[in-house]
Amino acid sequence: MNTILQGKKISRIFRQGSMRNTVLDQVDISIYEGDFTVIMGSSGAGKSTLLYALSGMDPVSGGKVFYKDREITSLKEKQMANLRAKEFGFVFQQTNLVSNLTLFENVAVAGYVGKKGSTEEIRDRAGRLLRQMKIDKAQNRFPSQVSGGEAQRAAIARAMVGNPGLLFADEPTGALNRSNTTEVLNLLTDLNCSGQSILMVTHDMRAAARGNRILYLEDGKVLDELRLPPYSEIREQNRESKVSGWLSGLRW
Amino acid sequence: MEKNILFRRGIKRQKGSLIGISLLVFFTVLSLFTVLAVSLNGNAYIRSEMERAGFGQLTAWVSDVPDVGDLLQEISSQEGIGEVQSQNIIFSEYEGNGIESDSEGQLILWQPGETRYRFLTDDMGGYRQAPEEIRQGEVYVSPSMVSIMDLQVGDTITFPVARGGMNVDLTVAGYYEDPFMGSSMIGMKGFLISGADYGQIIETVEQEGADALARSGAMLHIFVQADGEAEIDQINQLLNSQTSLPEYTEEIHSAYTIGSFMMILQNAFCAILAAFALILLLVAMVVLGHSISGIVEQEQKNMGILKTLGVTGRTLVLVQEMEYLVAIILGSIMGTFAVIPFTRVISAMTVTTTGLLIPSGIPVLPCLGVFSVILLLLGGYAALRMQRILHISPMEAIYDASVFMRSESRRKGKEKSASVSSGIQKNGLVFHLAVRQLLSGRKRYLSACLVACFLVFFASLAGRMNSWLGTDGQGMMDAFNPADLDLGVQAMGELSEEEMEAVVRSYSMITDSYDLAMPTVSVNGTNYTANVITEPERFHISRGEACMDPDEVVLTEVTAADLGVDVGSTVMIRGDTGSREYTVSGIYHCANDMGANLGMSRKGYLSIGQDEPRIWCHHYFLEDPSRKEAITSALETAYGGDVHVHQNTWPGLSGIIMAMHLSLAFMYGMIAVFIAIVTVMAGKKILNAEQRDLAIYRSMGCSAGMLQVSFAIRFGIIAFAGAVAGTICAAVLTDPFVSAVMRLAGISNFASHPAISNLLVPGAAVTLLFFASAWLLAVKIRRTDMNMLTVE
Repeated sequence: MNTILQGKKISRIFRQGSMRNTVLDQVDISIYEGDFTVIMGSSGAGKSTLLYALSGMDPVSGGKVFYKDREITSLKEKQMANLRAKEFGFVFQQTNLVSNLTLFENVAVAGYVGKKGSTEEIRDRAGRLLRQMKIDKAQNRFPSQVSGGEAQRAAIARAMVGNPGLLFADEPTGALNRSNTTEVLNLLTDLNCSGQSILMVTHDMRAAARGNRILYLEDGKVLDELRLPPYSEIREQNRESKVSGWLSGLRW
Repeated sequence: MEKNILFRRGIKRQKGSLIGISLLVFFTVLSLFTVLAVSLNGNAYIRSEMERAGFGQLTAWVSDVPDVGDLLQEISSQEGIGEVQSQNIIFSEYEGNGIESDSEGQLILWQPGETRYRFLTDDMGGYRQAPEEIRQGEVYVSPSMVSIMDLQVGDTITFPVARGGMNVDLTVAGYYEDPFMGSSMIGMKGFLISGADYGQIIETVEQEGADALARSGAMLHIFVQADGEAEIDQINQLLNSQTSLPEYTEEIHSAYTIGSFMMILQNAFCAILAAFALILLLVAMVVLGHSISGIVEQEQKNMGILKTLGVTGRTLVLVQEMEYLVAIILGSIMGTFAVIPFTRVISAMTVTTTGLLIPSGIPVLPCLGVFSVILLLLGGYAALRMQRILHISPMEAIYDASVFMRSESRRKGKEKSASVSSGIQKNGLVFHLAVRQLLSGRKRYLSACLVACFLVFFASLAGRMNSWLGTDGQGMMDAFNPADLDLGVQAMGELSEEEMEAVVRSYSMITDSYDLAMPTVSVNGTNYTANVITEPERFHISRGEACMDPDEVVLTEVTAADLGVDVGSTVMIRGDTGSREYTVSGIYHCANDMGANLGMSRKGYLSIGQDEPRIWCHHYFLEDPSRKEAITSALETAYGGDVHVHQNTWPGLSGIIMAMHLSLAFMYGMIAVFIAIVTVMAGKKILNAEQRDLAIYRSMGCSAGMLQVSFAIRFGIIAFAGAVAGTICAAVLTDPFVSAVMRLAGISNFASHPAISNLLVPGAAVTLLFFASAWLLAVKIRRTDMNMLTVE
């Protein structure tokens, strides 16, 4: 297994006046290529903070992050932006689509920024992704004119348009209803099956069961890890039971 | 109580906007009050100084009077005349720092202990005690001599008293304030000299007789009776017809005319600056309106919640109004306090042009009036814009407004999406993103667009005035000369016209020419300089017609007012060979002799005056005007004193140009400050509203630098749109607008010549300033926290 992303002794301390809040405390973590890695933990455990620290969206207070053996914690702003554009894709709980761009434009602009291919190639890829996400009919609408599920699928398309090395997903189903949640999870699973590395933060056991590696975070440290075989629909109930049992053991 | 809490919270929450409004009001009030202070204080000071110094309602400059005492007696015995005082003077040409005077100066005898004049410190920043005496060989001059001849303390002025090199050299010992002739706009200048020098020059003049170049004379200050009903022009006519005064008069002017000339510069520039200050007021209103809209939009939800708690819309309006009034009043008070030091600075900077220190006090009543108007205007406008608050529904607080917006926009989805076509392109992505942000939030940028339009309009207008004035004051000269010219050459000796022209042609082709003579004639008994021209259609006519017929003349406004005549009136003019009646065919512009002149055609003049070749000055228009200096130098080198060459300029012009440049610098500085404030106010709101979008873009891989440029481009685009509108407005309105202002300075022939520089530079400069300000402000994008994208 090739390590795609590695965090060594990552710390994240928030300061407010004389108050110090250590959210991440010297976390060591490795994410492997092709894996669907899930980070779980109780509320306030630092899941999203770890995700943002690993993705370079938020600076770390200590430690180092390596992406494909290249240290990214010391990158300059412009280099980091370039890395995000070319290698990372992001899906958030709140879809975080640019409000004054249509769904198609949201996807295409991300492709333009990444500069992977010609204009036509990017537009084709954007169109293909939107079809794949089954939202091609709404592609000319603004985010405020579509449902939450459609918006989130557009957000996934946007994250994927640059063919990222690693897709970061921060509670991607947190704001969705059950049917939209299933749709989004299916999409992520399909992407992983086709070889896309995914790192997802969630507190939803059903969503976590889609991953093949689940890490449990508590008090700023990785407490335990669960490995599962690759996802298959038939054994979904079984996976969820395994995850449930594992979490119970962690007093979740 | 709740009002108190809401008020304090509001002030705290909106302090950025309120500080911005305060600053805009500060600069607006400062500009308006400074204009008022300079104009009103200057006018009042000159009138009071003229009165204190004993200048009459009418002053006559006389020369070669056999017995001044008899003349005074003759004048004072006339009906309506209260008193006549005389001041001994000597008329003489002068030269300083290699610059020859255009007009005769007046050497004024100053007696120790005399309090007529106020003396200035050497740095001209304040007043000093009058000297105990003016020592022999010393002279005190007006501060405007600094701008005219660059005369500093210790420099020498030469007065050619008589032929044969009999010059008197006097050393500048200091400066004095001359409320009568001190302005650089007035050609004749007073020089205070000692009794010893005065006596010595008079003795030389008397000894040399016909060879004397200087002439003895006097200023006669004529006071009308306090209870008299006669107008000044009636008194003038009475003296001209009933006394021997016209036989000796060089010039005669009313105190009003003198005062107007002393203030001509200040009034003209104050009018321009007042117009500019009004533009600033408009800009402040635009920004105020924008700020209120932003606040109402931002606080809509909170206001809705407050309404659910029972707070009335009126209370909310009142609280908001109070917050803005505090900002407006604070800005006004700060501006008022700044007026005194600012006026002091202006006074010190312009003393070498105006010739006097303009008092820096605040004219309380007019300023209070203007303050009330500003308060009513801005306060009223703010209240009007806040009426929206009354219509905010409490439901918007209960249900998130965005939910309404989402369902509403989803309903309209189909129509709206149809309007979005190809949109964002890969090439020029930064620009395309900027345009999209701009179009989707265009209301937020409206204020910047309007402000750019106003500022470009005024900058363009000022730029066109500046280019009209020209680097050497050509525009002003053309307006003040009786007719335009590039070069004037007058043969004083045996030199022939052909010979002169040959020299001129050897440097540049002559494209056109005419002749001008300036003999003295008597009009209705008063002596005036007549501008006699071979082509009267060249006169700058403001009313009526040029004097094309031999029995017609044109007068300046000043002459017409002095004589009490107008277009269509008849005047009796006497020359050196006879006299006849002429009809005033028009009013024309020429500031020579403080406007005390008239224009005649050559044919018209020859029926009352002699035609001598030496009186004519040949005025040429050159194909290459840049050769004027070379031609002047060549003619003077070749013919020395046999030729008098003059260009279309005069020494006092540098002062005017300096004043114009100072005004422009002030206006451009103010424009830059306003742009910075407006950009910060509008930009901050936009940046705050777009924090999430910016974070999203950054998560997509857009660098902070790219977003910064994209943000600046938006302001660049909107400013460009405003600049185009402003430039068009300036192109259409400059001439009528400036002409109206220039008439205050006696110039009615203002016509700006549009050039690339004055058409495009203001717009480009304002657009760039907006771009640069926005770019600087957008540095904070670098600090955009992407953590806001997470929910945790």
